[in-house]
Amino acid sequence: MTEGAQQLATIETAAARPRGVITLALLLIVGLLMLGSLGVGPVRLSPLTVLGALFGGGGEVEQVIVQQIRLPRAILGLAIGAILGLSGAALQGLLRNPLASPSLFGAPQAAAFGAVLMIALGLADVRSYALPVAAILASFVSVFALLAVAGGNAGMLLLILAGLAISSLAGAATVLVMNLASNPYVALEIAFWMLGSLEDRSFHHVMLALPFIAIGALILFSQRHAFRALSLGEETAQSLGVDVGRLRLLVIIGVALGVGAGVAVTGTIGFIGLVAPHLMRPLVGHDPAKLLLPSALCGAALLLAADIAVRIIPSSSDIKVGVLTSLIGVPFFLYLIVRERRSLGGGMA
Amino acid sequence: MSRRVPLAVLALLGAIPQAAAQPLPRIASTNVCTDQLLMTLADPAQIIGLSPYSRDPAQSFAAAEARRYRLLSGGAEDILMLKPDAVVSGQYDKRATRELLRQQGVRVVEFDVVPPSLDAIKQQIVAMAALVGHPERAAPAVARLDASIARARAMAAHNPIRVLPLWRRGWVSGAGSLISLLFAETGLVNAAADLGIASGGFASLEAIIAARPDILLVSDGGDFAEDEGTALLLHPALERFYPPSKRIVLPERLTVCGGAMLADALDLLVAELTRMSR
Repeated sequence: MTEGAQQLATIETAAARPRGVITLALLLIVGLLMLGSLGVGPVRLSPLTVLGALFGGGGEVEQVIVQQIRLPRAILGLAIGAILGLSGAALQGLLRNPLASPSLFGAPQAAAFGAVLMIALGLADVRSYALPVAAILASFVSVFALLAVAGGNAGMLLLILAGLAISSLAGAATVLVMNLASNPYVALEIAFWMLGSLEDRSFHHVMLALPFIAIGALILFSQRHAFRALSLGEETAQSLGVDVGRLRLLVIIGVALGVGAGVAVTGTIGFIGLVAPHLMRPLVGHDPAKLLLPSALCGAALLLAADIAVRIIPSSSDIKVGVLTSLIGVPFFLYLIVRERRSLGGGMA
Repeated sequence: MSRRVPLAVLALLGAIPQAAAQPLPRIASTNVCTDQLLMTLADPAQIIGLSPYSRDPAQSFAAAEARRYRLLSGGAEDILMLKPDAVVSGQYDKRATRELLRQQGVRVVEFDVVPPSLDAIKQQIVAMAALVGHPERAAPAVARLDASIARARAMAAHNPIRVLPLWRRGWVSGAGSLISLLFAETGLVNAAADLGIASGGFASLEAIIAARPDILLVSDGGDFAEDEGTALLLHPALERFYPPSKRIVLPERLTVCGGAMLADALDLLVAELTRMSR
């Protein structure tokens, strides 16, 4: 036991890089991207007009555009990007597996299914709390099922295959439910739920998602020391007093709360949870506890940047932000597979 | 080109008046717009089947009446089994189905379901009445449309109000749409051009608010967002500038098709404008 505690202390000090500087830099980047997100849109407003309108100056139209259309969009980008980055880092810490992430586990797809089911049943308005609750339950079931099917110490290959199966199933179920609901505009609605978008959200959406995201983030963040202990191996962690079964359940709940609530208001946005922790590891080291906050900030920066990009790229109709995150995320995923090829092969043997 | 379609229909039908002694033709429809023309003008016994959307109250003005008739699959199979004397369809319906029917010797008559003018709509009513063997039934339907047009024109021209026809997910109908035809009769200006939208396109909330049209024309006045597309119209930013008092509600079933129901659409538009000018 003392040996484990010593190892733990070594990890902590070994990772003691200038983390404060990195966190500050990330905060600065996120802050700038927030401002950028407020400044970009179909209507051209000068930075000064935007700042004035944000604090209640300028014309009524400018105020409404900045305060009621762009601000909720930026807040949702920040919160959802952060919870996705945090979820990815938490899952990677829990499973000690660099390819773990919500989207590869089918959690967003399952959440979309939950939300769409509520709409199709005609029980709830799309702006009611029934949507995030259903999405959270569905993503909880999907991640729980995945970990149950693949087992606690599953190899990467097994997790990826099981995740692929679950996300395909959830995607097909989503489309089927929408077809059965006989909505004549089903194609456009499917595009929203499959590809995700932050366009024209309101504070109503922020109120729907933010409480759940905050609780999910608190749960995941509160387990940071357990992740660190777990990085020494399950037995060592248990000897240090970590209840691995309980930790697993808490992580699933935290991820489901965050991802489910996010998907319920923006549709499926993938791969941020996979990419963010990998970008941060070279900067803050491999201590999974110290990876959580930077990964959340990095996730927020990634989603804000992607959401700014979809507004800048000239196109005849709006580009869905999920398209962009997948375009960046999938090649990154393939690169990770190439890098981890050896251990993937080992998983098969 | 589309103007010629009704004339072609008339030409095709030249033989019908002489053949009045023969039994009236039995007709199937494969389009929600021809469904409604058919129900307005034909005898119930002549209608042997209607299109798959005929009973959708959101799209068809005569959805309730349509329940009395057989619902077709939209494909060719069941039509072939029913052996109709003619099939009426829209020019944008599935081409493969129409061609298959023609190959099998079925007479298919196409109607322009997005007519370019109100005159073209009247011609279609006349054409359909001739096709079903009741040419005399066209006149009352056309007269009803003419009366509504006259009422609309009477109240128009006071002040050019800029109205933005805004559908789900921010779709805006532009020039050439049925909505624009109705606007022209009522002296309204379609604000789509202010948003840089020509014949129709999606508008962002920001652009709508920045362009500040006087009034929004929407298809649903409810407060229930059944999907993301309708939720957009209930966005707080839009509701702030366009509360219900600044929205005209014109149900979609009145404006999807060119037909007799446009008379109701015009009357409703006039009533709403009168309410607002008070």
